[in-house]
Amino acid sequence: MILPSVTHPIGDFVRENVPNILGYLPEFIQPYIPSAEIATFININICMVAIAIIGIAPVPVLIYMERKVCAHIQCRLGPMRLGPHGVLQLVADIAKLLFKEVYAPIGADKFLFYLAPIFVLTAPFLNLCVIPFDKNLQVADLSVAIPFILAMNGFGILSTLLGGWASNNKYSLISSLRSGAQIISYEISFAMILLLVVMLAGSASLGEITASQSGHFWDWWIFKAPGLGILAFLMFLVSSTAELNRAPFDIAEAEQELTGGFHTEYNGMAFAMFYLAEYINLFTTSCIATVCFLGGYHAPTIGILAIDNILNYVPGIVWFLGKAFFVVWIYMMFRWTFVRPRVDQLMALEWKFLLPANLLLLILGVVFLAFGWILP
Amino acid sequence: MIFNIPFSDILFYIVAVFMIFAALLAVVSKNILRNAIFLIATFIGTAVLYLMLQAEFMAMAQIMLYVGGVVVFIIFAILLTSRLGEDYLSTPKSQKIGALFLAMTFLAITLNFLIQNSNLLKNVSNATPADSSLSAYGIRLLSYAPDGFLLPFEIISILLFMTLVIAITIAKKDDKEEK
Repeated sequence: MILPSVTHPIGDFVRENVPNILGYLPEFIQPYIPSAEIATFININICMVAIAIIGIAPVPVLIYMERKVCAHIQCRLGPMRLGPHGVLQLVADIAKLLFKEVYAPIGADKFLFYLAPIFVLTAPFLNLCVIPFDKNLQVADLSVAIPFILAMNGFGILSTLLGGWASNNKYSLISSLRSGAQIISYEISFAMILLLVVMLAGSASLGEITASQSGHFWDWWIFKAPGLGILAFLMFLVSSTAELNRAPFDIAEAEQELTGGFHTEYNGMAFAMFYLAEYINLFTTSCIATVCFLGGYHAPTIGILAIDNILNYVPGIVWFLGKAFFVVWIYMMFRWTFVRPRVDQLMALEWKFLLPANLLLLILGVVFLAFGWILP
Repeated sequence: MIFNIPFSDILFYIVAVFMIFAALLAVVSKNILRNAIFLIATFIGTAVLYLMLQAEFMAMAQIMLYVGGVVVFIIFAILLTSRLGEDYLSTPKSQKIGALFLAMTFLAITLNFLIQNSNLLKNVSNATPADSSLSAYGIRLLSYAPDGFLLPFEIISILLFMTLVIAITIAKKDDKEEK
C-alpha cells in the first residue's frame, strides 16, 4: 500500500469517501473492487492536475514579465498592440505555435528528435512536486527532496544533448556540447550550495527546511547565518542562472554564433516545449531559492505584534509566490544587465572561482554551526 | 482473480517487463546513442524498484549518479566521436555467441542459487525493515564498528581527492608549452 507523505484535507476526503461511494455497487462484485487503490489513483490524478496547473499557469505571466522587464530596461515599451499593454500578445504567439507543423529535418534521428522535447519537461514538473507552496500545498514531502531535485536536473542535460545531436545540424551539436559541459560543471556548485542549506537546516526535506526558518524575517537562512547566507544566496543565483542556460550564461543559445543553439531545428509545439521548459525551470528554481533562503511560505514578520498579525493574516501561498516572483525578477535583471562571457571564461568562473569558494563556504558553515554563530 | 493480487505486485511485474525490454533494446539496438537511451530506461526501472522497496535515497542516488552522471558522460563521449549514426557497431558473430554463452551461464548460476535457497524467497516478509532514511545513511557512514563505515568512507574520500588532484595536474597548462 502506498502511504501519503503529507496529510491533506482533500486527500483524506477522497480516501474516506471512495469506499463509501463504491459501496453502492452490486453485492457480487464488491470483493473484487480495490477501493483503497482507486482512492490512491484518484489522489494521484488530483496531484498531477495540480502540478500541471501550477507549472503552466506562471508561464504566461513570466513571458509577459520578461518582455516588459527587457523592454523597460532598454527604454522601450515592449508589446503594446494586442490588448491593453499587450497582454494578449502571448495568446497570438501560442496560437501561432499550435498551428505550425512539427517535422524533423532530413537525416535526423526521428526517435531521439521527438524524445528530447519530452525529456526536457520532466525535470521542471517533477521538481514542482516537492516544493511546499503552503503548509498543506505540497504533493510529496520527501525526506530526500534535495537529492531528488539534483537527480531530476540530470534529465535536463540529457534533453539538451539529445536534441542537439538528433537535429543533424553542426551548430546544434556544438551548442549541445557546450551547454552540456556548462550544466554539468555548474551543477556541482548548485548541489554544494543546496548541501550547505541541508547542513544548516539539518534536513534534506523541503518541508523541514521551511519549518527551520519560522519566526521573523531574520530567521530566514539568508540572514540567519550572518554573512554566510547572503554569500550563499548570491552564489546560488549565479550557478542556477548557468544551470538554467539563461543569459548572461546562455552560450548554448548564443544567437550570433550558433543560430539559436540546440533547438534550432525544432518548430511548432516541439520548440514550444523547450520554451515552456525554460520558463517552468525558471519558476521552479526561484521556488527552490525561496524555500532554501527566503523562508518559504512564512510571512516576513518584524517582531511588532500589531503589524505581524496583519502580515500573518495573508495566506502563505501569497507570500510564497511574491518571494518567488521577486527572485524571478532578480534573474531577469541579471539577464539584461550583464554581458555574455566566453566559453573558457565561463568554465574558469566555475572551476577556478565558484567551486573553491563553495568548498570554503561549506567549511565556514561547519565553523558557524560548531561555534553557534547562527542567530537563535 | 486478478484483483486479489496486491497492487505492488502488479506494479512490480509492469516495471520488470519494462526493464527487460529496455535492457534488450539497449543491447540489440544498432545506434550507439539509442543504446545509451535504453540504458537510461533500465536505470530508471531500477530506481523504481528501489522506491518500491522504500529505499528512497538509493533510488535518488541511482538516478543522480547513473542518469545524471555516468550516462551523460557516455553520451558526451559518443557525441565527441565521429562516424555517429552509421552502422559502425556491428559485432562479429563469435563475440555474439560468447556473450550469449556468458549471459546464459550467469542466468543458470542465479537460478541454481535461488532454487537451492528457496527459503530465502519465502521468508522475505519476515525480515525486519532497516532504516533507510538519509540521516540513517549519514550516521552509519560516519560511525565506527560494528555497524559503521567510517574507514571505508575515509578511504574513498582520499581516493576521490587523489583523482581530483590527478585531473588538475593533467589539465594544467605546462609553462614550457606556453612559451
